[in-house]
Amino acid sequence: MAVLEKGSPRGRSRSLSEWLNDERVRSVLYQAIVAIVVIAVARYLFTNTSENLQARGMSAGFDFLTSSAGFSIAWSVLPYTAGDSYFHVYLVGIGNTLMVALVAILCTTLLGFFVGIMRLSKNWLISQIAAWYVEILRNTPLLLQILFWFLAVFSLLPRPNKSLSFLDLFFLNNRGLYMPAPVPGEGFNVTLIAVLVAIAATYALAVWARKRHFATGQRFPAFWTGLGVLFGLPLLVFLVTGSPLSFDYAALKGFNFQGGASVPPAFCALLLALVIYHSAYMAEAVRAGIMSVSHGQTEAAYSLGLRPGMTLRLVIIPQAMRAVVPPMISNWMNVVKNSSLAIAIGYPDLVAVYMQTSLNQSGHAIEIVAMVMLFYMSVSLSISFALNYYNKIVQLKER
Amino acid sequence: MAELTHTDAVFRPKPSQPPPPNTVGAIGWLRKNLFGGPFDSLMTIVGASLIAYFAYALFQYGVVNAVWEADSYRECLDATKGAGACWAGVDKWMNNYLYGRYPDAEQWRVNLGGLILAVWLAPFWFPKVTHKIMVGVSAVLTFPFLAAQMFLGGDAIWFMQGMVAVALTLFAAVWLHVIACYTGYKSLGDALVRLTGFADKDDRLHKYVFLVAFGAVWFAALIFQANWDLKPVQTTNWGGLFLTLVISGIGISTALPSGVILALGRRSKMPVIRVFCTAFIELFRSVPLITILFMAVTMMPLFLPVTLNPDKLVLVIVAVCIFAAAYMAEIVRGGLQAINNGQYEAAQAMGLNYWKMMTLIVMPQALKLMIPNIVGNFIGLLKDTTLVSIIGLYDILLMVRASGQDPKWLGMHTEPMLFAAAVFFVICFVMSKYSQHLERTIGGGYGRR
Amino acid sequence: MSLETVDSEGQHIASAVSDEVVINLSQVNKWYGDFHVLKDIDLTVYKGERIVICGPSGSGKSTLIRCINRLEEHQRGDIQVNGVTMDTNLKNIDAIRRDVGMVFQQFNLFPHLTVLENCTLAPIWVKNMAKSEAESVAMTLLERVQIPEQAAKYPGQLSGGQQQRVAIARSLAMNPNIMLFDEPTSALDPEMISEVLDVMVGLAESGMTMLVVTHEMGFAKRVADRVIFMDQGEIVEQNTPGEFFNNPKSDRTKLFLSQILAH
Repeated sequence: MAVLEKGSPRGRSRSLSEWLNDERVRSVLYQAIVAIVVIAVARYLFTNTSENLQARGMSAGFDFLTSSAGFSIAWSVLPYTAGDSYFHVYLVGIGNTLMVALVAILCTTLLGFFVGIMRLSKNWLISQIAAWYVEILRNTPLLLQILFWFLAVFSLLPRPNKSLSFLDLFFLNNRGLYMPAPVPGEGFNVTLIAVLVAIAATYALAVWARKRHFATGQRFPAFWTGLGVLFGLPLLVFLVTGSPLSFDYAALKGFNFQGGASVPPAFCALLLALVIYHSAYMAEAVRAGIMSVSHGQTEAAYSLGLRPGMTLRLVIIPQAMRAVVPPMISNWMNVVKNSSLAIAIGYPDLVAVYMQTSLNQSGHAIEIVAMVMLFYMSVSLSISFALNYYNKIVQLKER
Repeated sequence: MAELTHTDAVFRPKPSQPPPPNTVGAIGWLRKNLFGGPFDSLMTIVGASLIAYFAYALFQYGVVNAVWEADSYRECLDATKGAGACWAGVDKWMNNYLYGRYPDAEQWRVNLGGLILAVWLAPFWFPKVTHKIMVGVSAVLTFPFLAAQMFLGGDAIWFMQGMVAVALTLFAAVWLHVIACYTGYKSLGDALVRLTGFADKDDRLHKYVFLVAFGAVWFAALIFQANWDLKPVQTTNWGGLFLTLVISGIGISTALPSGVILALGRRSKMPVIRVFCTAFIELFRSVPLITILFMAVTMMPLFLPVTLNPDKLVLVIVAVCIFAAAYMAEIVRGGLQAINNGQYEAAQAMGLNYWKMMTLIVMPQALKLMIPNIVGNFIGLLKDTTLVSIIGLYDILLMVRASGQDPKWLGMHTEPMLFAAAVFFVICFVMSKYSQHLERTIGGGYGRR
Repeated sequence: MSLETVDSEGQHIASAVSDEVVINLSQVNKWYGDFHVLKDIDLTVYKGERIVICGPSGSGKSTLIRCINRLEEHQRGDIQVNGVTMDTNLKNIDAIRRDVGMVFQQFNLFPHLTVLENCTLAPIWVKNMAKSEAESVAMTLLERVQIPEQAAKYPGQLSGGQQQRVAIARSLAMNPNIMLFDEPTSALDPEMISEVLDVMVGLAESGMTMLVVTHEMGFAKRVADRVIFMDQGEIVEQNTPGEFFNNPKSDRTKLFLSQILAH
């Protein structure tokens, strides 16, 4: 169909104001202005930077990564010696950050669910305890909490020769937490294989029980049997193969503990603070998620004859998880980010060993800041991809 | 059909009876909420004993065994064998926790600055005052200049002097406006026009009345502030809770406007603007604040001209503002997404252009929805401001640590930290409860503005 | 009101009331806090009986039927359903809920399950029925409520009337002998009300014992064996629909009827 073009027909020259009032022209103009300003600022900063670097007699670039760092790191998950390169320091820092963050995420999720369910308890006292737990922890700074655990708790622990001990296996003192380290012996691999077999068997059992239930209506106590298989089979194999596992026990030798595995007090304080602080946020997410499922759902399930436990499992939790998982995952992201506060108490995480020590020593501020930010950004991006994917698969189908 | 006639049986409802005594009142409440069954009762007992134990321990530590008068931590320890708190040390250090190393003789300036801000914003809670938005905007835009001059002292450049005079003028204007509102005028402008007898003159003349009045007061304020003789106080001496509030206050007041601009940019249809805004927001949201602070103090000096040599506090404030703006942008974006598309369409159908649509229709509704998140963000920022202690600014947290390293008070960590925790808890808790109150009173979009 | 439309469709459905008592309430009292919602309610329901309960809002009618499957707990008096006494014994509550179906005003379908899964959930998990069997039962019921083609959809994709019909099918899947309806058409658009009422009429024809809280007076006239009028927590008047509508005894009933039928 022929459309009459309004406004500026071709062939007639347009006045400047008419031209400036065109929507498309304005759009291009605005964008051009913004782009020019950003480029100009970037250029200005770049010139300043090169002048600054010249004045300090430095050159930009990643050559320093291969040179030896020369300082020592108090505790690390990945092996490290003082002669290793800066790039190795970067990796060691990432390892330490991920170590504390992953353990914290696991514990904070469990504790958060526990507190969130306490908060929903019909028992007024229990719900109030949970409410005040959440309020107190959310309204004081995390850094203060980390310092509190470090300075007021873990630093005040007794000296090694007066350690708090648990069954003479675990020792807690102002040098850290000491525990037995497992030393696998000859043939321990068989037990490890048995663990894998048990996991597979439990899974198969669950699938089979579900199938049988759907096919015949008969129920099978898959949970308890599965639990039995999961722990029983490896234990049986372990005993049959002659218990091929010994422990390296930590023991007091002189002024300190030798042997076993240990984590420094800074790790314990950081872990505890992260777990407790974030569990408050997790609890709120859990509470809000379960509250978001309307009471009518429970009533409908009850009126169909479902018991409370089954109602929770089949009706409430599947719906609540849609509301709980997104804030839970962004909370995990915050745990990773907040683990950078380790620097305040000397736990050698990425920021502490790389952004502070390495930066001070090498002076390569731009490169190092960029590398550290790159790490956090890639963690953040992968988590948000996972979150988007989850949201996509659980989205309720509506018109 | 049914019609009433006088032969009908008259329905007289039975009188309500009181409920069974064990289901209402204190006993009913206890049965329902604490002792609903054996398991419930057990939990109640366990919970109550835990609370009693902690309350008792805290009371013993904080009150019964506490030491209120001592000259060193050693004295405290000797007096209590470590079983009680040493509040004496907290008391001795209190001045530092609040003001850092700001000279004692000059601390009245900090107090006065805080008082001025409180008085400036007080009209928010006066029901009769109109134009409350303008009251807030005037404080946010000009108070920082007044405060900077008061806190820094020394000689100011001409621009600062002018802005300080503007701030003083607006402060006076706000309170004259309050008086006008409570003496029967619609606003300060209304009062000025009517009192000078310009009410019956042409409307176009009114602005000259305002200009003359403003100019006269501004000039008086300029002369008034020129006579100030405030001793200079370096920012390196700023500290304690004062510094924490300065940094977070600036962060909070810049976060909202810059967050709104970034959020609009991210939702813009223009790709260049959208890409820049999205990149900015995502970059600064995905990294921890401490890395942004490190960036500010190590990388930013490299970016700036050699001659500039910027103040560390300024760099930190810039970093905090960037961080807060990125977070606020996402909150604003969430609020904008919650606004029904019909509102945009209605505004466009009425012929409003983009900016009018945003400022008159969309933003007022979106901001209301965002209140809880905005306040949550403010609380988060106030807590996160403690991170500046890691890069060596003497905020309340670093002062707390310093007091435990003071030779006289060596090892005194718990008490100052409990004090700081209490300070933060009170501020944040009050803020969050107030936001919940606001949320209830403002209502879901149809309440009063 | 859809009085005329339903009325014109046909005669009162033949009654199938036996003398077997399925529900018996005696002197039931309930309070919400200090508020006395049910006052000394006595009610006996016979097998196959169809009862319509009406009354102004807040009169306690919903609370009454919610007490019958223990969604609400009564504080004084006795409730017996199918000979089982309602008490705190979980086994008794389970037994009663298995035999009593309920349809809600807001449907309360499970939004995370398909229509078919909504209907098979309780048979599989409560009755331990095989999945295939539960599904074939569910399909039969969905055909009965005339939406078998929607079986694979999610509740959010259906109209209100369709959702309410699924809710009825879901309750019937447990093969109850009593059905409770709590204002089943109040949340529906006018054109969807009749499709739900048609299903309920069909259910009545099959001889189901039904307690229906509703303001659909046409439905009451056509289906009910007894109409109960409640106000302020007590039963003001109960009678056959003919007597109830044409010859109400109480002034309160007349006032109510004149208000509800005024339009």
